Amino acid sequence: MLTRRSLARASLLFPALAAVAQPRIARAQTAAQAVAFVNTTAKDLIAVIDSTASQADKQGRLQQIVDRAVAVEQIARFCLGRFWRTATAAQQQDYVKLFHHVLLASITGHLGEYKGVTYTLGRPVPGEGGIEVPSVLNRPGAASAKLTWVVNDIGGQPKVIDVVAEGTSMRVTQRSDYDSYLNQHGGSVEALIGALKRQAARAG
Amino acid sequence: MRLPRSASTLAALLIAATLGACATPPPASDPAAVADFKRTNDPLEPTNRVFYAINNALDDVVLRPLAVGYRYAVPSSVREHVDNMLGNLNTPVVLANDMMQGKPRRAGDTFARFFINSTIGIGGLFDVATDAGYPGHDADFGETLALWGVPEGPFLYLPVLGPTDPRDAAGFGVDVALSPFTWVGQGHVVSNLEYTQYGLTAVSTRAALIPDLDKVKEQALDPYATFRSLYRQHRRAQIEAIRDDDRHTVPIWYPSAPETK
Repeated sequence: MLTRRSLARASLLFPALAAVAQPRIARAQTAAQAVAFVNTTAKDLIAVIDSTASQADKQGRLQQIVDRAVAVEQIARFCLGRFWRTATAAQQQDYVKLFHHVLLASITGHLGEYKGVTYTLGRPVPGEGGIEVPSVLNRPGAASAKLTWVVNDIGGQPKVIDVVAEGTSMRVTQRSDYDSYLNQHGGSVEALIGALKRQAARAG
Repeated sequence: MRLPRSASTLAALLIAATLGACATPPPASDPAAVADFKRTNDPLEPTNRVFYAINNALDDVVLRPLAVGYRYAVPSSVREHVDNMLGNLNTPVVLANDMMQGKPRRAGDTFARFFINSTIGIGGLFDVATDAGYPGHDADFGETLALWGVPEGPFLYLPVLGPTDPRDAAGFGVDVALSPFTWVGQGHVVSNLEYTQYGLTAVSTRAALIPDLDKVKEQALDPYATFRSLYRQHRRAQIEAIRDDDRHTVPIWYPSAPETK
């Protein structure tokens, strides 16, 4: 029976329904944005890898892409884990800078392996860290490899916060490495910074 | 009775190793450290690191040079055929595990592969079955135990097996028992063939992993911890993939077939 009270209650439902519907639409837009972002970033990376420019030139362009597309500071903080709070501000800055350098060196060091690579993107899945965009990389002369890009909104911009290769997350692995190193050196972030400096010097 | 000197030294070393074998947990006053320690779940870390060092040394001196030589001397197409043949020899184990895991489509793929590759693929040398629509996969008893609900347990680094845990190590033992080639025949020729099968599998797998393992060893601050993390994550992903493999087992025209899979 339609009474004034039930109508009043029903009218309350409408904004609630609208509120519930909107996040879903916003989510769908973000997922499509994430796929478009991964697509653009991958295309840019492949353009640099396949280009005939000099190695120094390639490294410069890659640095720009990584700075723009990868949330380096967030990844660095994650990788330091619980020791981030025990580090002084100066140590934190040093650490992030060195992390950035080592990350770039390791990416550019292995570029040659990805010459001529093609990729296909799958359906994005919302995950706990962000939106997971699965992809399959096809390197000429090697088996295809599954790579999942985890994209999150950092300061209004989509950025890659993690890369999961065949089920292994890059930042979780890196955090285990640093965690174990720090535990062996009594939790001294200074020791880690020293080790990263040596690594950076070796990589050049 | 006095033990000879070398035996008593060895006994002393073993006792020292066992007593020092357990990792010391962090003090309870640091809950974040305790949580990390529990998550790492590696109470036998000192012993594991000793075995890692031994394994690494053996790898550097024996296995890696063999793998490099194998990769250099044998052309990649032949290596591929050897891989196919070794995979085919492993099919009975994979089939038994697929059935025990309760994955009928995977078992069907494996059975079809065995039949097609052994006949048309001439003893497993040519992988014809993948093109026919039966992709290959690996299955071992460690995964079966995981799907049955057995937890993985603490991390172990064993002398020959490398990174593992109690569940997967037990699984490896069961797999050896499941393989019909363990029981077939006896005598010098048969046991030499068995050693060849395991040895060739080890060298072939190592050859495929040369660039990846080199990269980890040169870039990681603590390769042992990195391998531990990679092993665990990879294992979990493998088990999840099997769990998620729900391809339907009735033909699509059958009345009760699910919508799409």
